Amino acid sequence: MWRLARAGRAHFAVPCSGHEAIGAGYALGMRRGLDWLSPHYRDLAALLVLGMEPRDVMLHFFSRPADPNAAGRQPYAHFGSRRLHVLSLQGPQPNHCSHGVGCAWGSKLLGDGSASVVAFGDGGAQKGEVHESMNVAAVHRLPVVFVVHRNGWTQSVKREHEYATETLVARAAGYGMPGIAVDGGDIEEMYAATRSALKRARSGHGPTLIDAHCIRFLPNTSNDDDTRYRDRSALEAEFSRRDPLERTRRLVSAKFAAAVDADNARTAQEAADWAEAQPHGDPATVTEHAYA
Amino acid sequence: MRDLSVIEAVREALAEEMARDPRVLLLGEDVAALGGVFRASEGLLERFGPERVIDMPMAETVIAGVAVGLAMRGLRPVAEIQFADFIHAAMDHLVGEAAKMRWRTAGDWTCPLVVRTAYGGGFRGGPYHSQSVEAFYAHAPGLKIVAPSTPADAKGLLIAAIRDPDPVLVLEHKRTYRAVRGPVPDGDVVVPIGVAAIARPGNDITLLTYGMMLHESLAAASALALEGIDVEVVDLRTLLPLDRATILRSLAKTRRLCVVHEDTLTMGLGAELCALAAEAGLLEVPPVRVAMPDIPGIPVDDALEDAILPNRATIRSSLVRLAALTPAHGAPHRAYDAAVPQASSVVEIALPEEHTRAVLDALVAACRAVPACNATFAWSGIVQHPEVVIDCDFGPASPARGGGTITLVDYGAQGADLAIPFVRPGQTAAVRIGAVRGGRAHVACSVDHRTVDGADVGRFLAAFCAALAGAAEVAHAG
Repeated sequence: MWRLARAGRAHFAVPCSGHEAIGAGYALGMRRGLDWLSPHYRDLAALLVLGMEPRDVMLHFFSRPADPNAAGRQPYAHFGSRRLHVLSLQGPQPNHCSHGVGCAWGSKLLGDGSASVVAFGDGGAQKGEVHESMNVAAVHRLPVVFVVHRNGWTQSVKREHEYATETLVARAAGYGMPGIAVDGGDIEEMYAATRSALKRARSGHGPTLIDAHCIRFLPNTSNDDDTRYRDRSALEAEFSRRDPLERTRRLVSAKFAAAVDADNARTAQEAADWAEAQPHGDPATVTEHAYA
Repeated sequence: MRDLSVIEAVREALAEEMARDPRVLLLGEDVAALGGVFRASEGLLERFGPERVIDMPMAETVIAGVAVGLAMRGLRPVAEIQFADFIHAAMDHLVGEAAKMRWRTAGDWTCPLVVRTAYGGGFRGGPYHSQSVEAFYAHAPGLKIVAPSTPADAKGLLIAAIRDPDPVLVLEHKRTYRAVRGPVPDGDVVVPIGVAAIARPGNDITLLTYGMMLHESLAAASALALEGIDVEVVDLRTLLPLDRATILRSLAKTRRLCVVHEDTLTMGLGAELCALAAEAGLLEVPPVRVAMPDIPGIPVDDALEDAILPNRATIRSSLVRLAALTPAHGAPHRAYDAAVPQASSVVEIALPEEHTRAVLDALVAACRAVPACNATFAWSGIVQHPEVVIDCDFGPASPARGGGTITLVDYGAQGADLAIPFVRPGQTAAVRIGAVRGGRAHVACSVDHRTVDGADVGRFLAAFCAALAGAAEVAHAG
């Protein structure tokens, strides 16, 4: 997707390199079709785990009207699917936090036993939206798990200019909820933390904050140039040790990992080729769905 | 039918909807134990419990955001923002999220939430407890905005808002809460969103307003009636989307527009309403806006606040000024709309020289016989009228005034023997009586072809001729 966007064949790409284990880890801890997700825009991995078809991801990437996420109306990485219990994601980050809290409140009122995961970045976490959302979730003991992707960068602004603490996990105590700090590059650690937080949420004990540290290996989006604000050589050296995909490959046999990689590459290529060939929108439909 | 205040009507709407639909819940600041600072939810905590009547932290952003999430899950949240002045902290969720949700997902996700808020000045609240905020939100397609002014509408519009599948902002003028009492029908009261009301019919000026200003405008209009200025006061009731059909129909009749709102002048709703009228080519003189001047806030001091808010006296003087305006020479006074497809039909009939009364009676009878000709086209649907109103155009000395559904054109012996009349804007038919020659005349009828088909024109003329012939027989027998 990165290369296709850079080549001008799609409008916009949001890389998730370095973030994959967070989305995959928490999504594996969710019960598909029951629990609800308000994803971070780097959580493609979570969407795939929850059942979004690669062709649908690519329809979204190429902004085609058949895209079940946004029907060609929102650019890539604004995920959403009622069928998959993924709340529609918006542009201004992270407005979906309170939507996820409202959704969790709905679970409590409806008594259907579902819980919600709300994921956002450490840049977004500096907004009042997150403070207000975590506070309300704690006050009403709502079944929700907050996951912050802490990569230390808000586009070009480094962590020291966004918040004064090294991590964000201590904030949980300020709201009266437990906080778990995890290595967001470790899928097993991420999965275990989410499982325990979701268990707590479902049993009526309220929310948890998971502070997942990770590396944003690529620029913020396809419109960004991170060489203007950070040293890529140091980043690449660190990433070679902490690449979550590489670490996950080591959990299985090299042969199996290679087979999965090859299969995924074929699937992604097929989906991209197919989606790019799908028609653009009919201008006559642009006013549809403004109202019921 | 009972008399209620606006706040009692709001409370009744909330209670009835909560009883009807277990998905309806209230959230806001001070809504539970206190029953709301204006007591809109008084008694509801006791009746429906803390799970459905929820005191929220003093954080408007999350009140709106949580309402979005609840609505996405299929619940029907009714959020209260205590004062409209505080609502902008929630704006991103209302304009950026709720209003766009259906559109941005092509209908996959919807957001049927209601936000109620108290707006408006006149009670010494100062700049942060008095503002009107409608113009900010009326610029957000996807959102609906209602602004009731009477108890019946406060109840009926709130119920309609709760049942609506889209997000609705309910603007309640806080001065109406206790100052305005009025009849509220018994039973299920639903006032449809998107439909304005003619609060006072009139012929000379169309006054568009809403909220507390409706009552000030009605007082001004009543006073002017004694001076021979007949003002039609339209209570908009829904600010987004506007009821264009009702507004344009009134303007086609009066051709003069006055907009009254408490909100500040520049970029206010009045600007859009004047543009709507101007684009339709309906104004014979420039429109007049009565609004708060463009100052940043409403002052708390009695004399200062009274000086800037519109009231019946300032509205009255603006109406007098508007009534006195004379159309500039050559100003458009459109007798027809070229965009309206027309169909015409002609018959020749026996007609005495003196026939006006008989022709009018026959037209009324024909409208009763073929109701399709007594209806008005609107893009939202054809509106059928119970009463028959005929506009008469008897030449330069007695021109048509607009209004009604049919124009009768009769220039007497000075007129041409046969000419096809144009349907006037806002009407459905025009009937022209040609000059009477030897006891006979040509009658031509044109209709708005969007409303009436050719067969109906024929039936209408046949009914007209039959009624006229019947009248002639009666006259002859007499």
